[in-house]
This record gives sequence, C-alpha cells and structure tokens, in this order.
Amino acid sequence: MRVRQWFYLLPVFLLVFAISWSAPADVGPTYAVRNAKIVPVTGPVIDKGTLIIRDGLIEAVGAADKVVIPEDAEVFEAEGLIAYPGLISAHTNLFLEEAAAPARPTGEAAPGPAELMAGAAAQPQSPQNADLIIFKNLKPRKSTLDGFLKAGFTTVLVAPNRGIFQGQSVIVNLNGEEPGPMVVKNSAALHLNFTTNRGGYPSSLMGTIAYIRQSFLDADHYATVQTFYAKNLKGMKRPGFDPFLEALIPYLKDRKPVVFQCNNYEEIKRALKIIEEFKLNAMLTHLNEAWRDSDVLKKAALPLLVTLDFRPPNGSKYVSQGEDLRKKAEAEIYPANAANLAKAGLKFALTTFGLNDAATALKNVQTAIKAGLPKEVALKALTIQPALFLGLAQQLGSLEPGKIANVILTKGELFEDKTQVDKVFVDGVLWKF
Amino acid sequence: MKKRITLFLLVAGLTAGLIFAQAKPAKVIAIKGARIVPVVGDDIETGTIIIKDGKIEAVGRDVAIPAGAEVVEAKGLTAYPGMIDSYSFLGLQEISGVNETVDTRETGRINPQVRAIEALRYDSMHIPITLANGITAALVAPSGGLISGQSTLIKLYGWTNREMSIKASAAMQIEFPALRGGRGGFGGGMGRSGGAGAADATRLIAELKELFNKARSYDKRKAFAAKIQTVGLPGFDETSEFLLPVIKGDLPVMISVHSDRDIKAALAFVSDEKLKAVFYGVEQGWKAAEELKAANIPVIIGSTYDMPPVWEDGYDQLYRNPVLLNKAGVKIAFSSSSASVAWNLPYHAAKAAAFGLDKREALKAVTIYPAEIFGVDKMMGSLERGKAANIVLSDGDILETRTNIKKVYVDGRDCDLSNKYTELLEKYKKK
Amino acid sequence: MSARFMRFWSAALILAAVSLPAFSAGGSLLIKNGTLLTVTKGVIAKGDILVLDGLIKQIGPNIQAPPGVTVIDAAGKYVIPGIIDSHTHIALNGTNEGSEAITPEADVGAVVNADDTAILTALSGGVTMVHTMHGSANPIGGPNVVLKMKWGKPSEELVVNEALRTLKFALGENVKQSSRTILPGGPPPRYPQTRMGTNAIIRREMLKARVYMEEWDRYNKFKASKTPPKLLIPPRKDLRMEVLADLLRGKMVARCHDYQATEALEFMGLAKEFGFKIQALEHAWEAYKIADELAAAKIGISVFADSWAYKMEAAEGIAYDAGYCAKKGVLVSINSDSAERIRRLFNDAGKTMKFGGLNETEALSLVTFNPAIQLGVDKIVGSLEVGKQGDIAIFNEHPMSAYTRCDMTIIEGDVYFDRAQYLKEREEAAKQAQAPKKGGRP
Repeated sequence: MRVRQWFYLLPVFLLVFAISWSAPADVGPTYAVRNAKIVPVTGPVIDKGTLIIRDGLIEAVGAADKVVIPEDAEVFEAEGLIAYPGLISAHTNLFLEEAAAPARPTGEAAPGPAELMAGAAAQPQSPQNADLIIFKNLKPRKSTLDGFLKAGFTTVLVAPNRGIFQGQSVIVNLNGEEPGPMVVKNSAALHLNFTTNRGGYPSSLMGTIAYIRQSFLDADHYATVQTFYAKNLKGMKRPGFDPFLEALIPYLKDRKPVVFQCNNYEEIKRALKIIEEFKLNAMLTHLNEAWRDSDVLKKAALPLLVTLDFRPPNGSKYVSQGEDLRKKAEAEIYPANAANLAKAGLKFALTTFGLNDAATALKNVQTAIKAGLPKEVALKALTIQPALFLGLAQQLGSLEPGKIANVILTKGELFEDKTQVDKVFVDGVLWKF
Repeated sequence: MKKRITLFLLVAGLTAGLIFAQAKPAKVIAIKGARIVPVVGDDIETGTIIIKDGKIEAVGRDVAIPAGAEVVEAKGLTAYPGMIDSYSFLGLQEISGVNETVDTRETGRINPQVRAIEALRYDSMHIPITLANGITAALVAPSGGLISGQSTLIKLYGWTNREMSIKASAAMQIEFPALRGGRGGFGGGMGRSGGAGAADATRLIAELKELFNKARSYDKRKAFAAKIQTVGLPGFDETSEFLLPVIKGDLPVMISVHSDRDIKAALAFVSDEKLKAVFYGVEQGWKAAEELKAANIPVIIGSTYDMPPVWEDGYDQLYRNPVLLNKAGVKIAFSSSSASVAWNLPYHAAKAAAFGLDKREALKAVTIYPAEIFGVDKMMGSLERGKAANIVLSDGDILETRTNIKKVYVDGRDCDLSNKYTELLEKYKKK
Repeated sequence: MSARFMRFWSAALILAAVSLPAFSAGGSLLIKNGTLLTVTKGVIAKGDILVLDGLIKQIGPNIQAPPGVTVIDAAGKYVIPGIIDSHTHIALNGTNEGSEAITPEADVGAVVNADDTAILTALSGGVTMVHTMHGSANPIGGPNVVLKMKWGKPSEELVVNEALRTLKFALGENVKQSSRTILPGGPPPRYPQTRMGTNAIIRREMLKARVYMEEWDRYNKFKASKTPPKLLIPPRKDLRMEVLADLLRGKMVARCHDYQATEALEFMGLAKEFGFKIQALEHAWEAYKIADELAAAKIGISVFADSWAYKMEAAEGIAYDAGYCAKKGVLVSINSDSAERIRRLFNDAGKTMKFGGLNETEALSLVTFNPAIQLGVDKIVGSLEVGKQGDIAIFNEHPMSAYTRCDMTIIEGDVYFDRAQYLKEREEAAKQAQAPKKGGRP
C-alpha cells in the first residue's frame, strides 16, 4: 500500500524535476559513483573504482584513488556494488500497442465461423509496410520500462512486427515515457519476416519468398527508372511514385541494414539466399536454431541477433517427434544455442525477442551460461556486441568516457541467481522505480 | 439365436420375401474340385461343396454330388467363406465430398433413434465393387456425435435394403469422448474426435451415463405403469425409448474409442452400465490389451491406412496393434472403415499379417470372428454344413492383392460381379 | 518406453548430421543373397549387389566384400530399387499459394523442410525419392522439386538437381473452387469459376509470357546493338513470367492435376498451341477414357491405385485406370499424394495386378522405374543397374504381395531405415523403461 501511494506521487516529482531541468542549457545532473567494482566490458575490470556521470555522458571511469569527484556531483557510495554498462536488447517489439479490433455493435451475437471467415478474408493485412517508421507507433508504458530497467536493460531496438516487409525500427534508451527524447537512432533497420498474408497474397511461405525477391527486383527497377529520369527530366515521361519501393531503395542501394527474422534453421538458409542475391547489408534475428549449422553462418559473416527464447519452433523435428523430445529440446538443446555459436567463434548479440518480460530473458541467460556459454561472452552479447552491430559503439555498450551514461549498479554479479539491479542510470539520469 | 433367425425371416418376409423366393429356386449346386478353406476346421486340398436352398448342405473331400445338381467345376480355385467387413459406410455414402450423397452423420449429439438400415442405398455403386472382391456382408454404421445411431449388418447382395438386412439393428454406435485433447504427433494426428479437452470428455461421459440412468428409470416407470393401471405412464422420451434395447441387453453397443486412456475409461463405463459392448478403432488397444481381454470385449480394428495416434507409438503401431491384441487373446475383426474402398478389407488383414499376425488368424478376423462378434456365427463366417452359402471362389489366397475373385455366392446365389469399375472399363475398351 | 527410444534415435541422428561432411560421397555396402528384382534387367533369384561410394558397382552372384564394407544379409528377402513417389507434398513448409489463380513464381524448392517427419514415414515404406509438388489450388501453381529422403541431412542435400524442372498446373474442381462457399459480404469469387475460364486463363498467361519474352528479346537486341537508343530502360523483371518463359523455352515441363477426360484433352491442346511439354497428368482418373490419345502424345500419368469417389470429378475413377493405361502404352506411375499413403505405395502398385492384370515387374515399375522416367532421373535411379545410385529397399516378402513389409531402406549406399535395428532399440527402450527408476531428474 505504501509503495502504491508513493507511485501516485511519482508524476508530481517528475514534473517538478522536469521543470527545474528544462533550464536554458538543458543540462543534466552530475553523479559520482564511488568505490564500486566497475566492469567496463571493453577494458579490464576495476575492483574499486569511481565513475562520473555528467549531463548524460560518462565523464570519467577509473580507480577510486585516481578519479577526482567533482564538487557539483551527487555522490553515490557504491561499496559492494558492481557497475556495468546498461544492457542492450537488439530486437524487441516493446511499446507497440495492437490496433484494437473493430468493436462489434452491442446486442449482436458473436460472429459465427462463416462471418469470421468472410471478415478475415475481406481484410487482408498489408504485407508491405517497408515505409512504416515504427517510431510513430511507440507508446511507452512505465510498467514495461520498469520491468526492463529492473533487469538491467537500458537500450532496446523496437522493430515493427506485422507483415513481411514489417517496416523500419527505432533504437531507444529507456529514459521515460516520452518517445521523442528516447530515440538514439531512428529508421535503424528494415525488418523482414518470413510470414504470410492471411486472406491475401502471398498466402504461403514460397509465395512470400517470391514476393520478397520480386519486391527487391522492383525496387531495383524503380531506382533505375528514377535514375534515368533524373538525367532526362526533359523529354522523359515522369515515372509513377511508389512509397513502398521508394522506402526500399536506401536498403537496397545504400547498404542500410536489413534484418531478416529467421524463425528456424531452414529460414536462415532462405534468408542467406536472398541476401546473397541482392547483396544486402543484412543482419539475422531470432535464430534459436542457429546452432544447427554454424558453418553456414560463419561463411556468411553477418551480425547475428540471437533470441533468448528457447522454445523450439513449430515444425522443428524436435517438436514433431513426441512430447519427451520437445521438453528435452527446450530444456537442454536450445539453451545451448549461444554456447555452440560461441564455440564456433561466431559473434552474436543476445536479444529478448519473443519473450514477454526481461526477467525471463535474464533467467534464460543463466540457463545459457549453464549450457556452456562463457559469462563474459554473454555480457558482451548484451552490451558491446549489439552496440557494434547497430552502429552505436561510439555511444553505447561499454563504460568509457564520452559514451552515453547508461549504467547499472548491481548487488552481486550479473547473471547470478540472487543478483539484483540496485540502481539504473539512463542517459545519465537515475531512474526512479 | 433361433429367435433372431426367425425374426430375420419375418422381416425378410414382410419386405421383399416374394422377390427373394422367386429369385432363389430350390436348386442344388455342387462346387467341385476346389481347394477348400472352411476357416473353421482343416483345409481340404481338393473337395466339394454342396449348396441346397441357399445353405451349405455338405463340405468335404468325398462328398457325393446329388443327381440333378448344377456342377461348378472349380479346379485350381480356392473356396473361402465370404468375408465380413466389420465397419463400413457402404450404402450411406456415395461420394464423400458431395454432401448430397452422404448420409452417415445426423446432426446433434444424441441420436439413438436413427437407423442405418433405413437410409441404406441398396444400389450404391460401392456395394457391387465390394462384393466382387469376396466381401459378402458388412456392418454399416452411422457416425458422429455421442450416440450416432443404430448400425446395421447387411449382406452385399439383394434388390432392396430390407432384403439385404441380416440384422436391421446390429449395434448402438457410441463415439466415446476423447480424454486426450487433440491427438497431436505423427503426421499431424488422426483427425478423429480430437479437440474435446479432458474436462469436456468427463462432462460428456457423465452425460452419457445420465442418459442410460434416465432410460432405466423410464423403463421401470413404464413397467410399473403397465402393471398398475392407476399409475400414470411416463411422458414419451425418444432417447430413452430407443435406448431400451440397449439397457435390456438386446442390442449391443459399439463404442468408437482410440487412446489407451479412453479405452480404459470406456471399459469402466460399459462395466458400470452393464452393457454388452464391442469396441471399434482401438488404435492404442495394445496398451490396454489385458484389460480388454479380462472384460472379454471384442475389438473391431479401424483402418490400417492411417497414421499412429502419437509419435511415441512407433511408425508400425497400427499394423502391430491387431497382432498384440490377438496375442493377448482379444477377439479381433478387421474393417475397411470406408465405402469407396471397402473392397480393401482383406488387405488390412494382410497388413497386420505382414507385421506378425498369424495368417490364419488374419483370415478368421475377416470371416468367423466378425460373425461371432455380431452373433451370426451360426449363419455365416465359415464353410460349414447348415450355414448360409456365402462362398467365394478365388484363384489364390483371398487376402492377397494379386488374387482374382472368380465367383461369389450369397445365400447360394451366383452373384453378378459386374460393377461400376467393370462397366466403365468395358465401355471404354470398345472405344 | 518407446519415447525413450525415440530420444536415442534422434540423438543418434543429430550426431550423424554433425559428423557427416557437407558433401558426402555416399556409403558402401554389400547386399548378399537376396532375390533381386532389378525391374529393368529381370529377376535374379539369388544375387548380390555391391554399392561403393553411393553407386552400384556390381550385381551378380558371389561378390566378395571389399575390406571395410558392411555386408547385409538378404537371404530369403526381396531387394528392389528404392521406391519413387511421383506426386507428394511432403517435406515442405506450405503447399499452396492459393491466394491468386496464377502463381508460377511460388517455387516449392524455396521451402523444402528437411525436418518433416513424413520423410521418416516415407523411408519406412521403402521410398527413397519423391517429387514434392505445389498444391492444386490454382491453374498455374508453381515449380516443384525432387528430393531424396535423406533424413537428418540439410535440405539442400535432399534436392536432386539432375531431375527435370517441373511446373504444376491444375484443372477442375479445386481450381474453380467448387467446394468454396461464397459468402455475402465476403470476397468476390476468384476467376476462374469454370473449366472454360480455367483453360482461358492458362491461355492468357501463355500469351502474356510470349509478350514478356519478346520485350526482353528486343531490349537485349537493342542493348547489343552499336547504337542503342538513348532511353533504353530495361524491362521489369517479372518472376512470374520468367517461369512461364522457361516453360515455353522448353527448360521446364508441365505436370498437370486433372480428373476429367475433357479437361485433360484440352490441356493437351494448349500444350500443342504453345509448344510446351506435358510430362505427366496427375490423378487423371479418366485417363482410361483417353488412353490412346495419351500414348500417342507420349504423356504419362501419375495416379492413385484406388482412392476415388471423394468428389464429383473422381466419381468415375476406376481402379483399372493405372493397369489399363499401362497396357495401352501410357507411362504410368502410382503416387501417394499423402504422408500416410506414401508408406504403402508398394501395396497400391500391387493392386494393379488384380485391376489391369499387370505382372509383378510391370506393377513394381509403377513405383520405381516409371516415376524415374517421369522425373527425368531414370539414368541415375529407378532400377538395380550397375552405375546407378545405390537407392535400394529390402522387403521380407515379394513387394507386390499384400503380406510384404519393408525391412530396410538405403539411399546412395547409406542405410536410412533398418527395421531390425528399430526393433532392437525398441526392445531395449522397453527394458529400460521397466527397470526401476533411479533418483534424479527424469
């Protein structure tokens, strides 16, 4: 009850602070975290160190006796705590509210199967949302933010999740409920999923693959025609405008990243064929069957965004050969995915994709570690590796001066059973749970 | 048994007795020189069968041929009793995908009042094709719901449905609710009676029991009111009314049941309700073989042309199930579970034989065992004196695909084996 | 109990999959003392077959096993070429691109699924190769693919690249969506809704493809010329038309789902009109009505043995169809079209001996050599001959007998199904399951 009351007051506090911070220069607070064990990820561990945060950035990191604490700093005594860079999940579908189904007029009976069929068939969803900038759909919620921050995540990539060409993702820092200030990088990548379009074309996976290929071919043709037109403005009929193909061009021609969601082993190979055909700058995501062929991934040398979801995909031979094997697969085989990739020398990021909450993801990291994933690889896969993949290594992924001050302080080492996240700084501001 | 035969004759007499009598002159036929597989008793390498008045008069090595008998030279052929398909849709279904031609399933869940015999399309194109492969009798069952209706046992030759009837009502068909929700695994499951969750099944079983309770009380009230005129008659209740022969033990129930758990639940059910029962389907019967044996419940094997219910059972489980049931001493009979390919009945039996069932047992499971299960073994199911002359002459093992059926007798009548297959073939041969 | 066995089985397969090189040369083994039903070279009452590195090296009596080569005793058993299913839909993620009437771009080769347990089912019935096809929801479906049933191998190793490239067409009830109820307020019916429209739409697409081909021909000609026009923009590359162009150029052959004689004859007319080749008609339940025409046009059929009367257009599908057409000189194969029927194709082939009066070899060839010809792989599989791939099945009884059972299935000299081993493992698993359980996690 007491906690709840405190929560009610929270907006009031935030409001007060917000006003006081929105001074002309918009300068953020200064903090000194003193006497913590510091795990910068990119450098050696500092057993007793101090970390200075100023105005959203890390100002200094170093041994406690070397770093001078500025006079204006709010000091946190962090003896017994460990400082890590905030964790990054390179693929989520957070903050996307499902469009509400059209309400049925009251008093009417529930639709029968025939009506439902007609309804479903009458409104096929569009498979081509390449021009969707998902930022526009973000609806951050405090409860979701709290959940992720409590698990140590401070940065997530939010990808759209509908259609085949799903749209363009955004990378955000989990610093509040206002979408604008959260953005680290907009239109981060174009996301594709091997799904079908119920009630319309393509309704099958083979249709989907043809559709993806035809779309890239069309975008290429579109670009060619546009180029011709640019050179022949006088004398050439103006080509038609197509927002979908237009949106594809930077990804096809300018090597902006395209993320293929590979829900099973076969889809990894299907994605690689398309990537090869169109010479795309690609990343692969989901990938919980990546362990089944590390050779092919090694050859492809692409960024791998590996989910912590250990449920074997539908249709996998680990699902279709009886319940015993499925259970074993979920408990033993799939959790060893990351360990196998690490053993094969592959670089990958771990993501929370497909999981409802970050706590499960964190628990699954422990399971993966038990299955043989080295702890330090796990840590990198949730910090510097995704930062590198997403082109954010200058800003995020480690504790280095000049980087964004996304810092977590934990009681106990990360990925241990009883470890708790004690404090979280996002963009240099202490998060209030 | 005598009562049944009398009843049967009565029914036949009422409906098509005249045609029947005219079509069947009281002549004597002697099938001579055939290898004889009577099924009951030893094979006879070369022997003679005498048919008189539609019945088998004599079978043996040294049987004298009566003067004036029509002699059928059967050298090189083998004589078998006509086979019995223990579960089919013959006459209820012509083209499965065309609803207008399908009468297998009444709407609603509780339909003890519907009778397959009353909808039996006696000139179904599938019946002569089935007969031409040596199958002379079949159980025709309604399906679907909880109580599907009354199946009928027919012979596959005759001019009207009633003429074909052996037992107008053979069994009350019940589809036992599946405790296992869905039947996943192996090739996507078997698509039968899946979907009902365990809770649903428990409720449905309770409902079934309640129906039987109600019928019993209905029966008691009726009897009491009959005795004491001042007691009011119970209001007419259709379901109870048509369950009366079942609760009185005059009509057996045939319970469609598939998984081992359900089989055990069904065993408890028939024991509680004191029903005379036959089980059908019984794909996981091998896991409850001892219980089935102890309860003395015969089993009608569903089509072997299907996938095992669950992966864990192994790829060959539907082939092995009859083998294991037979080994445990459970009486089994095979079925086509079909209309359009009911003629495949012998090959289901052969399939089990390929996986270890004794060949003779396989043959019995399409002849004498079904006759016993349906209580007509005094009339058919083997080549024995006094039984109906349902005889098949073939050029080889009757369970073999490459064997050709040369002649089929039903009640001593030499059947016309032409059918839709042969008619179309002959038509286009002329092209 | 058998669940445990399956675990073992799967674990063994995982190991096998990991340890095998990406391109294995195939296995080696010697099968001894079997009755060899070669299909093309008669029956050898007691003979041996030596497979080396995946290929049949030698057939004859008293072959000595080279060092290290496994010997399989087939005494009393029947050794046949691996069974080939000319028409299935297994080992795919999805079957139909049914949303539109014309979808030749939807290639089933793009969605091969090596995880489909139907592969194991097929192996248990002696099947070593399948033609796995696009469904029949549309007049022009998509390209099909030929696969070997190499369970445990990655999908790309299943694909038989030597096979003909085939394109699925379909006619009749499925295509005109007869069983679909048109609902008020629902989507309008898809064109075509008649057999007239079906023929017309196929003709339309062929005409379109011709224009497409000409457009590219012109472009390429201009491009190659010394003075290309200033605004020479390449035409749009259309995957749909590319496939049809390949058909018209003879790089692909048609496989057409049909039931009725008229639609079959008319499709043959279209093939003649546009100059493409029909390799086989699928189902072809009325082929016996036009057997002479099919034989003359050298068009094969791929049919069921006896599954009929499931819809109106299958109401005259007589079991004599396959046998009668074979006698008339039509190249006939018996197909499964089902993940269940695939494991008893030999039984179905055996039924043509009764219906149609084929002999054992003719009947067996319906599921071995004939489908191999239909798929264009008869030079490498389909019969037991020296030089062909070691795809072999071993049966306990004659495979055309109803009492037969597949005991072993071999692909390119590697054993993929072994009933004896299966039974042994099942027995062991049962024993283990009966043994008292020790502590610890299950």
